[in-house]
Amino acid sequence: MRFFRKTSIDFMGKRNMWYTISITVIVLGIASLAIKGFHFGIDFIGGTEMIVEFKQPSDVGKIRSMMDGAGFPRAEIKAYGNANTVLIRTESQAEGTTVGDKIKAELNKTFSGDSPKVLQEQKIGPKVGAELRRNALLAVVSSLIAMSLYVAFRFKFIYGVGALVALFHDVMVTLGLISFLDGLTPWTNFEIDQNMIAAFLTIIGLSMNDTVVIFDRIRENQKIYRSMGLMELINKSLNETLSRTIITSGTVFVITLILFLFGGEVNRGFAFALTIGITTGTYSSIYIASAIVLDYTNRKLGKVKQPVVTGKPSYETLNQGR
Amino acid sequence: MKKNRGKSVFIVACVLISLYFLYPTYKDYKFGKELRNLNSADSLKFVDEHGSDLRDARTKRIKLGLDLQGGMRVVLEVNTLKLLEDLAKNKDDLFNSIMNEVRAEMKAAGDQDVIDILQQKFQARQVRLSRYYGSIRDSDNDIVSKLRDESTNAVDRAKEIVRNRVDQYGVSEPSIQKQGARRIIVELPGVSKEEEVRKLLQGTALLEFKLLIDPEIALKVYESVDKVLAGKPLADSLTADSSKSLASKSSTAKTDTAKSAADSALANISDDKTKALEQAKKDHPFFAIANPFQQEGQAWSGQLYSAEEDRARVMRILDQPDIKRLLPSDMSFTWSAKSSFTAEGKPFFALYAVKKNPELTGGVIVNARATIDPQFNTPIVEMEMNGEGAHDWARITGANIKKRIAIIMDNACFSAPVVQNKITGGRSQISGMDNVEEAKLLEIVLKAGALPAPVEIIQQATVGPSLGEDSINKGIWSATLALALTVVFMIFYYRSGGMMADIALFLNILFVLGVLAAFQGTLTLPGIAGLILTVAIAVDANVLIFERIREESVTGKSLMAAIDAGYSRAFTAIFDANLTAFITGVILYQFGSGPVQGFALTLMIGIVASVFSAVVVSRVIIETMLERGKHVSFG
Repeated sequence: MRFFRKTSIDFMGKRNMWYTISITVIVLGIASLAIKGFHFGIDFIGGTEMIVEFKQPSDVGKIRSMMDGAGFPRAEIKAYGNANTVLIRTESQAEGTTVGDKIKAELNKTFSGDSPKVLQEQKIGPKVGAELRRNALLAVVSSLIAMSLYVAFRFKFIYGVGALVALFHDVMVTLGLISFLDGLTPWTNFEIDQNMIAAFLTIIGLSMNDTVVIFDRIRENQKIYRSMGLMELINKSLNETLSRTIITSGTVFVITLILFLFGGEVNRGFAFALTIGITTGTYSSIYIASAIVLDYTNRKLGKVKQPVVTGKPSYETLNQGR
Repeated sequence: MKKNRGKSVFIVACVLISLYFLYPTYKDYKFGKELRNLNSADSLKFVDEHGSDLRDARTKRIKLGLDLQGGMRVVLEVNTLKLLEDLAKNKDDLFNSIMNEVRAEMKAAGDQDVIDILQQKFQARQVRLSRYYGSIRDSDNDIVSKLRDESTNAVDRAKEIVRNRVDQYGVSEPSIQKQGARRIIVELPGVSKEEEVRKLLQGTALLEFKLLIDPEIALKVYESVDKVLAGKPLADSLTADSSKSLASKSSTAKTDTAKSAADSALANISDDKTKALEQAKKDHPFFAIANPFQQEGQAWSGQLYSAEEDRARVMRILDQPDIKRLLPSDMSFTWSAKSSFTAEGKPFFALYAVKKNPELTGGVIVNARATIDPQFNTPIVEMEMNGEGAHDWARITGANIKKRIAIIMDNACFSAPVVQNKITGGRSQISGMDNVEEAKLLEIVLKAGALPAPVEIIQQATVGPSLGEDSINKGIWSATLALALTVVFMIFYYRSGGMMADIALFLNILFVLGVLAAFQGTLTLPGIAGLILTVAIAVDANVLIFERIREESVTGKSLMAAIDAGYSRAFTAIFDANLTAFITGVILYQFGSGPVQGFALTLMIGIVASVFSAVVVSRVIIETMLERGKHVSFG
């Protein structure tokens, strides 16, 4: 069976509309990032974080006042997964793990009847946080560059540029959406932590994968249809690979969606980023990467001095000009 | 078939190798399941019976990361500033004020090297470093390079101290690794008692020199322990002579016991032998688990040997009130830090009986150095003590010639050399090490007593076992669901071609896990996510090929020709696409840490495996089927 018979969709014809939509989404995303920002995970900011399970639904207010009393006034307290489990986080730093010990002592004192159970505890020193942040940024930037260079090398320079812009687009859209949706629903509490960085790199990888498959087909078709215009050629290649694009992206989409829905709290942010990323990655391969290649090539063609035939100006007219 | 014979053989070999590497994981899982069903008494017996198998399976299985298993991960960093403070001599107000400046500068500058800052501050004040470090003739640059060495050595020292303590603490499968120049990563699966662990990891090491109790006295004590345990009355003829003959008797009996134990572990046990073994165990309950291993005609060296798992039991026995009464009041016990030998697949540790009070503590050691004895070309360790220590050392060695002195760090014995002569002047030489590594370890241990290795916890993560279990269940469940849907979809969409792809998909997962097991990799939660992505990548490769085959067959090619064209045309796309994804994996592995590296590792293995399984495996299956005249369709 097949979902797609031979298609002949004019992808590139509407590229200006899609540019506009993409830019709008990114601008909105940047606005959300500027206004709302996003949460860094504990591994990037440093501090102490604890996931505590109570026997009864937890009383966030009581925990907050407990933390205030213990000398951690700006602690973050939120539900984690279910009503009985709470995530407590403070950026306070002290030698060794004294912060965590103090919180645990306070918890046992305040909730002595409930015997709270610490499921997970994490302490990140201030230097480590800064270091991990730097490494994460380095990882994302260097993978963007490394892959674009590879594409520029395997194809043509402009293909590398197109791929780079597309990847950047995917990262920005996903980041913007994460910022926007963070905290809006109980299922969308996101944090930019190391796992999220892994997700971003995966998005970059998958989007690149998609882009390369399309570029590969363009390259192949260029050899076959030498006289075909680039726009027609790209459209033809996109239509030819459309079935594969949809099947693959659909499969990955379903897989990441399952991970998002059923993979547990730990994997949720990761899976969400992937679900968004696979969608925008597929889209950007067509409407960003390929479109940029087309526009750039067209512009370059436009700049080339072409021989023109005009009527020979008469001697008088030339004189008049003087 | 002929065309693909080589490939088929290769594929089958890959499958078999993967299965071979995965077998311990399966066995470990099975053992775990059986153990959970048994009650405590039966499970002890089960462990006894399958001891070496269990251990074998455990070490060779795919390890679960701390996020899945629960446990603690601690990153320690050597505090260079503190180290510099500790190393300085003749500290005065000037020194303290410079140090305060360095501290302030460090807070402001962050990443700058502490030793560089120190040097700058000293230069700014025109104070020579030799005022506090090294000797007066050393130039500043000499001292700086020495301090740098010290700070590197401090990491090794701290690592050895931590390893020793963790070994004493008895965590199964701890991992202690150096990261970069100043950090140590400690991973303790299944441990959640943070306070205990923290105490374990921090604090200065205690190095002591303790005299060994005379072997003859020790043996007498051990024999009476053995007798009391066996329920026999203490023989009143505990004279030296009779006990000596007794000793040799019992210990020869012991060697026999050990032998027969080995025999019984090996193969078919005849009834007689079991009976003899049981009888020996009954007669000598103590020596059965703490074996003197005395050789006929040789003086007993003075230590007992116990298998790793028996150590706790031996200590419990020696702590029993009725046994304690038999021990001289100044007698205490310490285990060897490393196993002495391995028998029946179990590591054996030596138990030393030592005087309770140390003769000397490590503070007197000025320096230690592992080197090669030029005369005999064997590894030795040179040890140097300060004036006060040298004075005591001369007295101690002089009074105990031909006796043994145990070198004990944090209650584990690293060496128990025999004193050859009275050592005056504080310079000693320890020989008899098996290899250079052993000498190097002893050097580190000797230094640990004198030189500081201040570490601080800069990162700690504790995952409770229940969260780990929850994660693993959800992770596996969602992975299974995703896999099932993918498999069904492939068959639905590509028919028999999809079926081949599914077979390739399963082999792909098998390969990834096999490689992971072969490299003793660790499966983390992000690792499971990476595995799921691998599935996606493998599917993509097959989709690319099958779509291409469909396209080619539309142009009127025969099925065989279409398959041929499909595979070869799709290859460049698959290659380029996967190579870029592989680049991400490499970068992620480079910059990530802990669990994220697990993800990157599974991703990289997965990419290679999926290209192999899609490009080679599925093709071989399809072509073989076609050659056998079976119908293959791509939907």
